[in-house]
Amino acid sequence: MAGKIPGGALPAAVGNREAVAEQRRRFIRQDFMLVCLLFAVLLLIPALPFVKGWMAAQAVLVIVYIIAAQGVSILTGYTGLVTVGHGGFLAIGAYTAALLSKHFGADVLICVVAGGAMSALIGVALGLIFLRLSGAFMAIGTLGFAFFVGTIVNNVKVFEGREGISLPPNHVFGLPIGDIGFYYVAVLLLGLMTLFIHSLVRSGVGRALKALRDSEKAAQSYGVNRWFYRTLAFSISAGITGVAGALNGLVTRFVSAEVYSDIWYSVDMLVAAIVGGTSMLMGPFIGGVFVAMLPFFLEKLADFSFILKGAVLIAILMFAPAGVGGLIAKPFQAMRRRRLAEAGARAVAGAGVAESVAQEGARNG
Amino acid sequence: MLGQQIMSGLATGSLYALTAIAVVVVFRNTRTINLAQGDFSMIGAFLALIFLKSFGFNYYFTIFLVVVCIVALGILTERLVMRPIADSDWLTLFTATLGVYYILHGVAGWLWGRDTKAFPVTFDPTPVQILGTIVSEGHLINIAWATGIGIVLFVFFRFTKQGIAMRAVTDDPETAELMGIPVRFIVMLTWGMAGFLAAFAGILIAPIIYVSPQMMDEVLIKGYVAAVFGGLYSIPGAVIGALMIGVAENLAGGYLGSHYKTATAFAMIVALLALRPQGLFGIQKRREI
Repeated sequence: MAGKIPGGALPAAVGNREAVAEQRRRFIRQDFMLVCLLFAVLLLIPALPFVKGWMAAQAVLVIVYIIAAQGVSILTGYTGLVTVGHGGFLAIGAYTAALLSKHFGADVLICVVAGGAMSALIGVALGLIFLRLSGAFMAIGTLGFAFFVGTIVNNVKVFEGREGISLPPNHVFGLPIGDIGFYYVAVLLLGLMTLFIHSLVRSGVGRALKALRDSEKAAQSYGVNRWFYRTLAFSISAGITGVAGALNGLVTRFVSAEVYSDIWYSVDMLVAAIVGGTSMLMGPFIGGVFVAMLPFFLEKLADFSFILKGAVLIAILMFAPAGVGGLIAKPFQAMRRRRLAEAGARAVAGAGVAESVAQEGARNG
Repeated sequence: MLGQQIMSGLATGSLYALTAIAVVVVFRNTRTINLAQGDFSMIGAFLALIFLKSFGFNYYFTIFLVVVCIVALGILTERLVMRPIADSDWLTLFTATLGVYYILHGVAGWLWGRDTKAFPVTFDPTPVQILGTIVSEGHLINIAWATGIGIVLFVFFRFTKQGIAMRAVTDDPETAELMGIPVRFIVMLTWGMAGFLAAFAGILIAPIIYVSPQMMDEVLIKGYVAAVFGGLYSIPGAVIGALMIGVAENLAGGYLGSHYKTATAFAMIVALLALRPQGLFGIQKRREI
């Protein structure tokens, strides 16, 4: 936008660009402050007098959904692939963490890292299969994967089927933690994931993914390795969802096939990603809160929460295709664009004066 | 034992085929993966239950009424939800049908409750012997209905103006429109046909799996697997896929244990897709730049 400001010869354009860049940096600082503020609030909430342990556990479940939606949004938003099977990765994360915690009494952090790593590894293998498929085929294939995981945890002995695995109390660095302590761990992980995704989408990898999303052929002709980057994205997305799964298993301290063979988990994650808005950092936060809190508020009216979920989903697709996040961000983005244009215009005006003075000087001298 | 397994597999498979055909028809004309297909059937089964039990209607009259209602439901979905977003990418269309799924699920649970209800059996449950295998009459009736519907569809696509127009839209919507085919009407017809197939699928499968809001979830998924198996564009492919899945899962259920039924269907599909990403009868579409 700023580039379209009329007037200004070459030196003016340089000044113009600098001013715009300065304005951009200011926006990035603002965003950063906002995110810091959000996490500061999240970290301070448990200090409030009325907060009980169960609320913290409930909050962790919301965070689980947010992280899972972040995982999905890497695929749907930044890579343009669709998955209806990420419930499978949630299960893999949860069971990896559960088995480590039960049999080895492992630390929460180790369980979470292992859950994520296991999911990411399996994600590489599955990515190699699924990425051959296009759009609709991939959706069905990933759904099949979720079903498959459900059958395995139902039937293979070590996962203890519907009886479920009960877990010992959680501990971090040898210190036992309760629900509130776990909440801090979850917030910390959420922060790490957010930071990771933020830097990922701005890195070369993120740019390669977006290029592949927007035009596969064009990206390939510029030497972007489609296989490598898509498999990487699939694996990262699986790993993040696995972290969410590990958190989910550990916070409830109970993992059973009853919960993790439910393929609607997968669908809920996709809903969360889409409602919040894919391809923006804020999206999974909004979507995750929406999907996780809806059944909580409408516990007695489960059917009504279904209807509401469906209606909200359709309304968003019709009226706000960029998701709720996109809807909220729109006026701010417009404002920022205006600011950028103004900054550019000011720079042009200022540079224009300087330039004419310089020219005057040159003529006189 | 084996013959019996195969026979009942074919019977279930023929019901999956009804869902699979609807999936294919809607997908190839509108690029929509219709997740609400199963719930059309579910609503149909509930309506049938009400017509049969509360109103005491005759079975065939009930079928007629349910077909009318569910065709209307399909068309309504198209008009209210799908048409306004018809130009979006396929993920949007897919998610919109997910919204319809949730709404129909919620409405059914709200109106009729979440518990499972038995569906009156209209045929003689004692098995009969055919070709040396013991088959239940219900299975034969289902196969007969499915075959009948298959013939109706064949005639429709082959000999009627609307059917041929529908195939034209499948092949190339833009050219079809230029040729004066009312594409919007055809799309509406497509959703009507999805409703028609859903009504039969719901009524016929209800005595086997009983009636509840989530009754069709697994059937829908198998219908999808069948459709993908056949390549998502081919009706015969979908039918063959559905029959194969019916037989395979029945054999797996019989010899491995009933837990493995659904997983078998998916193991098949993942194996097939790994070898042939475009499905069994699919055509490798020219990639667009």
